[in-house]
Amino acid sequence: MKSTTFEVGDVLPRLRHTATPLQLFRYSAVTWNPHRIHFDERYARDEGHAGVARHSHLRAALALRCVTEGLGPEWHVADVAYRLRRPVYAPVEVAYTARVTALEDDGMTLELIEEQPSGEVGFEGTVRVSRTVRDDTDGTRASTALVAGPV
Amino acid sequence: MSFTPEAGTPLAAYYAETQPRAGTVLSRRSLGTLDAVTIGRYAMTIGAADPIHYDAAAARSAGYADVVAPPNLLAAIVEWGVGTPETALGADGTPHGGEVPLGEGLRVMGAGEEMELVNPAVAGTEIVLETTLEAVTPKQTRAGACVFVTTLNTFVTAEGAVLNRNRRTVVLRDPLEES
Repeated sequence: MKSTTFEVGDVLPRLRHTATPLQLFRYSAVTWNPHRIHFDERYARDEGHAGVARHSHLRAALALRCVTEGLGPEWHVADVAYRLRRPVYAPVEVAYTARVTALEDDGMTLELIEEQPSGEVGFEGTVRVSRTVRDDTDGTRASTALVAGPV
Repeated sequence: MSFTPEAGTPLAAYYAETQPRAGTVLSRRSLGTLDAVTIGRYAMTIGAADPIHYDAAAARSAGYADVVAPPNLLAAIVEWGVGTPETALGADGTPHGGEVPLGEGLRVMGAGEEMELVNPAVAGTEIVLETTLEAVTPKQTRAGACVFVTTLNTFVTAEGAVLNRNRRTVVLRDPLEES
């Protein structure tokens, strides 16, 4: 059972992940992304990369998994912003962490970090989550505390 | 401040061609219907095991109308529908000539993203995408001359409900500028 109460400074369980070339290929396939740096190692090295590059959206998806799995279904992602500081090449294990930085009425803000094996930050971002509530009119999920404008 | 790419380079040609289009709506088009298989495959590929991505009954009991996409699925899909013929792909595999200009012969990498998730994307939803070219900004970086391109992708339902506003930035550079 996950706690529904969080404090500033709380850190969600770290998500460790080793992205393999096979995962990168499948991610390219399911997103219909033909960019060769993600699945063609020879081409990627010709471009100056150290191997096949992990997709930025895959890195974001993994960081968001750290949040959604760490918080549980009572919360949902309202907005997220991130910046890529350095690439990640497969296969390598990286770790995603999320730390609560602010509490709001029906939401909170967490800092997202992708930590590379060297200890360097590969990706950093901010995510706002809101409590998930039901819409009484039709039983579907509704949200509270959504931001009014772009993050 | 007032940096511009070196004249005569592919990056300079790209910048001169693309920068005047900043601020314009590039396209508004239907992407088709988001289906449960796409949602399930995406969830499986990223390792998301929550049954709300695979099982309609589980999704409904969680309050969704049908299986629901992981948060960044809409933003992550590069090509919708059948995609681009191989003969129309650039040497790096990316589709050139689309509504978002990427620049033939330039290196392209993701740089960052801001995404507002307004409503969940569930299976069976017809998705409409409006793409605006927000900014085309040249910069001198440690890796050489670059152009940062920011697009605003707004995903809405056929009825007009906003699902996701996604502001994405990619960085382009000349191959010769790489260190």
